Amino acid sequence: MRRRLGIGFWLAVGWIGLVLFAALLADVLPLARYDETLAGPPQSGPSLAHPLGTDGLGRDVLSRIVHGARVSLGVGVGAVLLGLLVGAPLGVLAGYRRKTADTVIMAVNDVAQAFPALVFALAVVAFAGASLRNVLIVLGVLGVPSWVRLIRGATLSFADREFVLAARVLGTRDRRILWREIVPNVSVPAASYAFIGMAVVVVAEGSLAFLGLSVQAPTPTWGGLINEGRTLMETAPHVVLAPSFVMFLTVLSFNLVGDRLRSLSDVRESGLEPVRQVALTPLPVPEHEVRDTLLQAEQLRCHFVTPRGVVKAVDGVSFTLERGRTLAVVGESGSGKSMLIRSILGLLPGTAVRGGKVYLSGDDLTARTPAEMRSVLGPRLGTVFQDPMTALNPVRTIGTQVTEPLRVHLGMGGKEARAEAIRLLASVGIPDPVRVLGRYPHQLSGGMRQRVTIAMALSCGPDVLFADEPTTALDVTIQDQVLRLLHQLREERDMAVVLVSHDLSVVARWADEVIVMYAGKVVERGPAAEVFARPRMPYTEALLQAAPRLTDPVHHRLREIPGRPPDLVDLPAGCAFLPRCPYAQERCGREAPPLVANGGHPYACWYPRSSDGTDRLVEGVESGGR
Amino acid sequence: MIVLHRLVRLAVVLLVVTFLSYALLNLLPGDPVTQILGMSATEESRAQLRQQLGLDQPLLVRYLDWLGGLVTGDFGESYITRMSVGAELAERLPVTLELLVAAEVVALGLAVPLGMAAARRAGQPLDQALTALSFALLSTPVFVLGVLLILVFAVTWQVLPATGWTSLTTDLGWNLTSVILPAVTLGCGQLAVYSRLLRTDLIATLQEDYITLARARGLSPRRILWRHALRPSAISLITAIGLNLGALIGGTVIIETLFGLPGIGRLIVDSIFSRDYLTVQGGVVLISVGYVAVNFTVDLVYAAVDPRIRHA
Repeated sequence: MRRRLGIGFWLAVGWIGLVLFAALLADVLPLARYDETLAGPPQSGPSLAHPLGTDGLGRDVLSRIVHGARVSLGVGVGAVLLGLLVGAPLGVLAGYRRKTADTVIMAVNDVAQAFPALVFALAVVAFAGASLRNVLIVLGVLGVPSWVRLIRGATLSFADREFVLAARVLGTRDRRILWREIVPNVSVPAASYAFIGMAVVVVAEGSLAFLGLSVQAPTPTWGGLINEGRTLMETAPHVVLAPSFVMFLTVLSFNLVGDRLRSLSDVRESGLEPVRQVALTPLPVPEHEVRDTLLQAEQLRCHFVTPRGVVKAVDGVSFTLERGRTLAVVGESGSGKSMLIRSILGLLPGTAVRGGKVYLSGDDLTARTPAEMRSVLGPRLGTVFQDPMTALNPVRTIGTQVTEPLRVHLGMGGKEARAEAIRLLASVGIPDPVRVLGRYPHQLSGGMRQRVTIAMALSCGPDVLFADEPTTALDVTIQDQVLRLLHQLREERDMAVVLVSHDLSVVARWADEVIVMYAGKVVERGPAAEVFARPRMPYTEALLQAAPRLTDPVHHRLREIPGRPPDLVDLPAGCAFLPRCPYAQERCGREAPPLVANGGHPYACWYPRSSDGTDRLVEGVESGGR
Repeated sequence: MIVLHRLVRLAVVLLVVTFLSYALLNLLPGDPVTQILGMSATEESRAQLRQQLGLDQPLLVRYLDWLGGLVTGDFGESYITRMSVGAELAERLPVTLELLVAAEVVALGLAVPLGMAAARRAGQPLDQALTALSFALLSTPVFVLGVLLILVFAVTWQVLPATGWTSLTTDLGWNLTSVILPAVTLGCGQLAVYSRLLRTDLIATLQEDYITLARARGLSPRRILWRHALRPSAISLITAIGLNLGALIGGTVIIETLFGLPGIGRLIVDSIFSRDYLTVQGGVVLISVGYVAVNFTVDLVYAAVDPRIRHA
């Protein structure tokens, strides 16, 4: 993918070009001589004759800055070239011939970092004489370790790539590999660092000059000009401001060009690339009736605006859920199950647009502000995620994490919250809860962690528990324990549970109702027993057939649904399952089937399956029944 | 065991750094004898002084001799001023340390809230403005920034002194006024680095499941940022603080010159100009030891911040 360099890059290039041009042609340009005193009245402000004014001795400031650029850029180019010429070969060597070189490089690196570079530069220049050559050599040599490190890193990342390994296997000579494969690839990071190195050297030379340790008077240097101008700050601030500003712009330009070049070869975002803002238009909500039920979703939508187009992750999902029931959401990965949960909870990334309504006991949750939503999240809606390894904060103790919602939402004090946390942990079957409170997540097993997250989700006594694949990341033996626990807690607390799963044996065993999702839409919905006994939508049938069963012969081939889930960016006009459906006909490509009930449970298909062919499968699924 | 291994390695690094700097300073042209006696001194008196100062000994012997003293805490005696280098450094060190601490307070005090604000609104106008500001700060040489701040606060508004130093024990109020401008100047560059690092790491942390779950528990964004996200995102920041603190011990040279502060950096520059080798050498040792010690401490801080490292 080709990236834009942006206008900033070209402005920076322009400025560098301008400074370079002025420095090269300083003697030819129609400027006053840099050392000509009383070229104008001393300390006079900007005028036509002296665009940047004059200094304390009446010398033209612009001319002095232009001549100072010669020193700054001269030292910059020279020192960078020196660092490159010495450091790059060493770096390539170190990266390519790793074993011995690595230890040496690391050791040298240690020393170089602990070595006070600026003090060393000062000492050398002071003792050996403050000349252009000495400054250039010192700053060049000091830059070598950075160059070695950078080039070694870049070489390392290519030395292992397939094309280099292939060349080695083919017996290509090392020298040839280096020149043909490695050098061209390392040149982009090297070019980028050359610009950043220029910025570093220009600042370093300026620092030396500021202390009076660069090229000596009468030759002007930027650091020297700023140092001289300091004394006139009260009467003629332009004398110090002009070189300061020029120096700032030059360093900024070098940094900017270097950064943009780096972003060409670096996949990581540098944070400087322009981000395109997208106007978010709210999605319309159709007419509907608010029912007297615990949880109701109406035409819930969640769209993502991406550079490729609009991704409809959740597209018009409706359902209702009563107290004491479990609703299962099933579908393949990427069918929108998790996004459905997050849409209900209002926990979507910034790039998402949500539409539709969610009612909790008739109260419209989508109308709430984030702050108002927080009083519902926790006390009324509890959440458990798939992976207990990532669900707990690694740097906080279990105790801090479990007691936090109790303190925030229920206003408990430290002691009370701790006692309640112990009770909660015991209720989810954690042995020795007192000790676990002082533990960190990484000290617990996966099953224990998932129990902790369940305890946290239940801590404020929610009415609905959302469990997004709560057992997928766990051992099979633990899975059953956790699901059994969820079921038991549902009964004890008279909650409703929304269980997201792709594991149909889990769903068949624990869910009362099920909705089947495909490409962000509900394609079949109904009581779990009925949907599994008589799937009408071919996708549901395929899901059931793909579920492995204990009754399968040992070397039985795993069935899978042919094809792959569709690209959510440009869904076809007709049925989204069409390309993978064995029963599709001409109408399926023309019109998307609506979700309608024809006497049984609702499904979205023009040519639904009859109950006949699936009996064998249902037996298999239900054989693990409660 | 690992601690011991690291200590040995650090000792080796220090040994190499001290030897290199000792050798370099001695091999460079310029001679303390000329500095003391002047150009017109006779060859005889030069030789006498050289012998008196021990400069007639081979380099390695002098280095080992000096190193022996160093191990017992004796930095030697300046050839020029005849003063104890150790005492001189000890007198200057508090100034530099106070400057460093104040600079880090300024940098972190601003970088943490700014980094958080930027991470929370990644890609939005505030974040882009802060990105541009950091980039500008990173591109401003420290002496340019210092001069500008002096121009604004000391010359135009006259609210803070441009130069000068009042020690902490003399007068706390004046001490603080004299440290503000240098600390802000030094802190701004760090501020840019720190807020960028924190922003990047926070953006990654905020994608974590445990943050989404904290939101699902109805916790406020402020609480999530400070109590849940900050600590797991602090490792790069702490590394950078360590590296910077170490590097800055030597980097205060410019600041101390610009603001007329009697610190280590100023002492080193003055000593360089007067060819006072042993004082420069003492300063180099102090800087290297400081750098190495800070980075050793950083490793211990990691463990305090992340329990996974503690129990590994």
